[in-house]
Parts: sequence; structure tokens; C-alpha cells
Amino acid sequence: MRIPPAIRLGLLLALLAQSAVAQVRSVEVRTPRPFGYFLGDLVRAQVDIVVEPGFTLQPASLPQPGALAYWLDLRDLGVSQTRAGDAQRVRLSLTYQSFYAALDARALEIPGFTVTFVSESDHGATTAKAEVPAWSFNVSPLREIQPPARDDPRDYMRPDGQVGPGDPRPLLMGAAGSAALALLAFAGLARDRTWWPFRTRRGRPFGVAARRIQGLARRSSPEAGDREANYRDALLALHLALDAGAGRRLLADDLGDFIEAHPAYRADRPGLARFYEASRRTFFGPGPEAGRGVLPLQDLADLARRLARAERAA
Amino acid sequence: MNQFRSGDAMLTDWREAAGRFERAVAGAVLGQDQAIRLLTIALFARGHVLLEGDVGVGKTTLLRAVARALGGAYERVEGTVDMMPTDLVYHTYLADDGRPRVEPGPVLRQSEDLSIFFFNEINRARPQVHALLLRLMAERTLTAFNREYRFPNLQVFADRNRVEREETFELPAAARDRFLMEIGLEAPRDPEARRALIFDPRFHDTDALIAGIDGGVLDHAAMAGIGAAIQHGVQASPAIQAYVIGLWEALVRPAQAGIRLPGIDMESLVQGGASPRGVAFLVRAARVRAWLEGRDWMVPEDIRAIFPQVMAHRVFLEPIYEMRRAAIMPELCRAVFETVPAP
Repeated sequence: MRIPPAIRLGLLLALLAQSAVAQVRSVEVRTPRPFGYFLGDLVRAQVDIVVEPGFTLQPASLPQPGALAYWLDLRDLGVSQTRAGDAQRVRLSLTYQSFYAALDARALEIPGFTVTFVSESDHGATTAKAEVPAWSFNVSPLREIQPPARDDPRDYMRPDGQVGPGDPRPLLMGAAGSAALALLAFAGLARDRTWWPFRTRRGRPFGVAARRIQGLARRSSPEAGDREANYRDALLALHLALDAGAGRRLLADDLGDFIEAHPAYRADRPGLARFYEASRRTFFGPGPEAGRGVLPLQDLADLARRLARAERAA
Repeated sequence: MNQFRSGDAMLTDWREAAGRFERAVAGAVLGQDQAIRLLTIALFARGHVLLEGDVGVGKTTLLRAVARALGGAYERVEGTVDMMPTDLVYHTYLADDGRPRVEPGPVLRQSEDLSIFFFNEINRARPQVHALLLRLMAERTLTAFNREYRFPNLQVFADRNRVEREETFELPAAARDRFLMEIGLEAPRDPEARRALIFDPRFHDTDALIAGIDGGVLDHAAMAGIGAAIQHGVQASPAIQAYVIGLWEALVRPAQAGIRLPGIDMESLVQGGASPRGVAFLVRAARVRAWLEGRDWMVPEDIRAIFPQVMAHRVFLEPIYEMRRAAIMPELCRAVFETVPAP
């Protein structure tokens, strides 16, 4: 059977067209309802496109979110791809917003667009276009065209919405609880730092001194220079503790006053007197040799330990 | 070595003599043990002393007793508002033959033997007289009759009435700085001493009281030598040197040393004073005290015992605080010693 060339060309075109159509199997637009929209409403639409397997969506061909017309914005666009049998389904979720201030109920048309699909193969790329058709929805006016006249223009406005009566009690309880916790924590810090209300809580200077002198006594090195420096440091440590305990610089002659004011150390008075004699000889007199003759370092450590014990007991 | 031992023994002998001297004076002046100790220190430190106190507490008696117990030539003048410097140096009068004569005055009369020059009521004399004292006290020399007089043993004792301000002249700072000590004298607090002073007739006749003191306890001519021996014999360790420097710094700049006194702006309290000469005097007196206590090395207590008397009058306060000096200075001295670490 001979087919005339003109008809052959027509068939071919038809076949080609059919093949193009066949690559995009279906385009379906679903909208919740086509009526009852007002100024500022969001209009959601779902577009399902089923294509032959192997075709992938070209994202650049999708409409860009933004203003489409003076009255229409595309707010959001979501894409998901699933398999539908042997084909591929692409679902576009479109959210439009209408800013059309309608004076009467009328139909508006959301323009259609074209989405491109590509199939890559060794021989080259095949593209297929899916036409998403325009679809329309009805908008309605918010108010009548000519409202009745009011004296006060503010009466055209609706009154402010009322906030429901909330229950503040749980919040108050929470705030009170947090404040109590914060106060407790602050009191702990103040006690640790001996700030104002705990200012009278004395530190334990003798305890510190005893530890330091013990450390120095243990670190007795055979070198004479080191030994002298250690002895001096040990004396200084106890001097610091006595000064801190008395609240002023305590000289040897003040020992009586100190014992008077702090009777807890009365038992150690002879030891303290020896300590001051040793300190005098070390710092102001002949030197550390003479001081150690009066009070050796180990005795000094014992004295400091006894004082620390008396301090804890006091 | 031998030399050293003999010097040591000499210092020991003199220490005993100083004890006898103190006891002799204390027998005549009751309840002033601290002032007597300070005066003894001043004697051996070869320094001049200004005695300050209320009326009738025994300033003059104490100085007379000390002068008597020390022995040596002794001159005394009374400060008056019309006194002129020349009145101290020259004695002018009309002789029997009717011709004017100029003879040596109180300061020159005993010539170079003068060991104690006692200036009573010094703040009644005019500043011109105070000015004459500057050289006499600092250099122990004086130019008169076209020659220079030297007074190697001279010590100036002065007393001053603290209460009265009419017709008196405040001592210039330079003159005050030349006094080793300013000793404040209070009436004795001890009830026994008070009763004795009031009821015991022995204390009513001052002349007899002074005459009762043994005059030869100390050899006044040897005082200069022994004073120098003490200064060389008493050691100052590096620790005590640092301590004195710390005290000085704290006294002159109390705010930086962390001293706070209630109601006083510490930044501007001290304007000046506390001269290097003053601190040198301080160490001199402290050495004497160490020696009196039987040590040949100084301790912080030696400094503390004499610090207010030696240093307080050398500090110049902001004028607004000057009127309250008597209350502020002891507080400041106490705070300095409570702040500066000793060893």
C-alpha cells in the first residue's frame, strides 16, 4: 500500500506528537475548592505529573517563588518524586497568595506554566515538556462597597481582640522558686568568699601556715643556702598567719595582747615566744643559724600544727 | 678582738649606768617612766628634745632632773615675747663705772663645756630666736665676738605649753625638724603616783627635789663618745633596713600603702616632711633603744617604741587636717605599724 508523502509526513508528526505526549503521561491539577477566597488568603494547589521512567525534572524550569502578578504571589513551591507503577510521578505543591481586593465575586485565573523533563542517554538527551494548565478560582469581597456612614472613622475598624484570662500562678511559682534557688546559690558563694554576712567567719590562716611549713620541713635539702631560705619561708608563713589572726602586724612584744584577745592559743604561748625569739634572731639578729638553735624547723612545724588544731577547735 | 671585747664591756657598763640614771630621775619625777626612757634614749642618741604638755605636769621638773643627773654645765633661758637672738648670745649691761659692757650671754657663758641648754617655754620666743637655734642645734656651733664657738656636748632641751596659744609663736618647720624627739607629757594616771605628787611634801619643793638627785651618775663628757660607740655597735640587718624604708614610705604615702582612716582623704593627708634626716634620727634612736634593751641588733619594736615621738612632728599635714593633728598623727602612726609587714 502506497501512502502519499503528504499523509506520511502528517503521520510522522502525529507519531512524534504522540511520542512526546506519551513521554508525559498525565498532568493533573488538584485544588481544595475553587471558590470562597478573600483578600490575602493562601491558595494551595497540587500538581501531579506522571512521566516515563528515566525522565528527571529540570528544577530550573519550575516557577520561581515571588510575585507573579500585581495581585498574585507564589509563596512556596515543594517538589517530591515517587514511583507510580513503572512510571515516575512528580508532585508539585504550590502555595499562592492572592492580594486581589475584589469588589464583587469573580473568577481569577492563575496562569499555567511549563515544566521540562530530561532523559539522558548515550545517544543524547531527550526533553519532554509538561504543560500545567491555567486554572481559576473565585474571590469574594470582604465588605460591602458602600458601608453606612459612621461619625467616628475608627468605628469602621473592628475592636481589638480580647486576650483570654491566663493563669499566672504557675509562672509566679516558677519565678519564686528560681529566685530562692538563686539566693541560696549566692549565699553559698558569699560564704565561700567570706563576703559581708560571713565576714566574721575567720579563714584558717594557721591551717594554711601549718601545711606550708610541713611542706617546707619535708623538703629539707642538704644545701645550706636552701635550708636557710626554707627556714626563713617557714617563719614568714607563721608570721603571716599570726598577722592574719590578729588583724594587724604582730611584733614580738604584742604576743601578750594577742593571747589576751585569742585565749584559744594560751597553751602555746611558750612556743609562740620561742617562735618570735627565733624570728628575731633570724631576720634581725645573728642569722638563721641562731634562729634554728632556738626553734628548729621540725619544732616550728609542730608548733604550727598545734596552732592549727587550736584554731579548728576555737 | 681584744679591742672589741673591751668596747663590748664598756657598752655593758654604760648600760648599767643608764639604768642608774633612769632610776635616779624616776625617783624625783613620778609616773613618767616612758618619758624618762625616751629622754635617756635622746641623751645617748645625742639629740635635742622638745617636751610638750599641759601646764604643771612636770615638764620643767623633768628636764631639770635630767640635767642634774647628767651633770655638766647647764644653762637655762625663759622664752619671752620680747626676747631677741642677741639676748641668748650676749649679756649687755652698764658696769659699775657707768660704761656699757658686752659679755658672753647664756649660750656662751659656759663656753665649750655646755652640755645642756634648757629653753623653757620656747614657743613664747619670737621666730628670730628660733632661727638662731637652727645652727646651734644642727651644727653645734655659733659665731660670736668674731669667732666661732663649738659646743661638742651640747644638747638642747626645750619645753612648750600645748594649751596656750596667746602671744606664742609656732616653731618653724626647720627648727622642729632639728629636734630628735617631741615628747608629749601627760599627768600620771597611776593613783599611787597621783596621791604622792599631791600629798607628799617632798614633791612640793622642786629645788630640794632636784638637789636630792645624785649628780654624777653619768659622765657627761664621755657621752658623745659612747653615743658614737652605740651607733657603730648596734647592727641593722637587711630585714630591718627594708622595714624602716617601708615605714617611711607608708608614712609619707599612706594611701598607696593601703591605709584608710575614717573621715580623712588619705590621698591628700600628708603634704610632706618626714625628711631623710628624720629617718636617720629614727634609726639612731632605735639603735640606742636596742642597746638599752641589751641587744646589739635592732628589732622592729625598737623602731615602734620611738616612732611617734621621732617622726610625728616631722610630717606636714594638709592645712585642713593640721588643726586635728593631735588626734590624727597617733592614729596614722598606729595604722602604719599595723600595715607594714615586719620581717
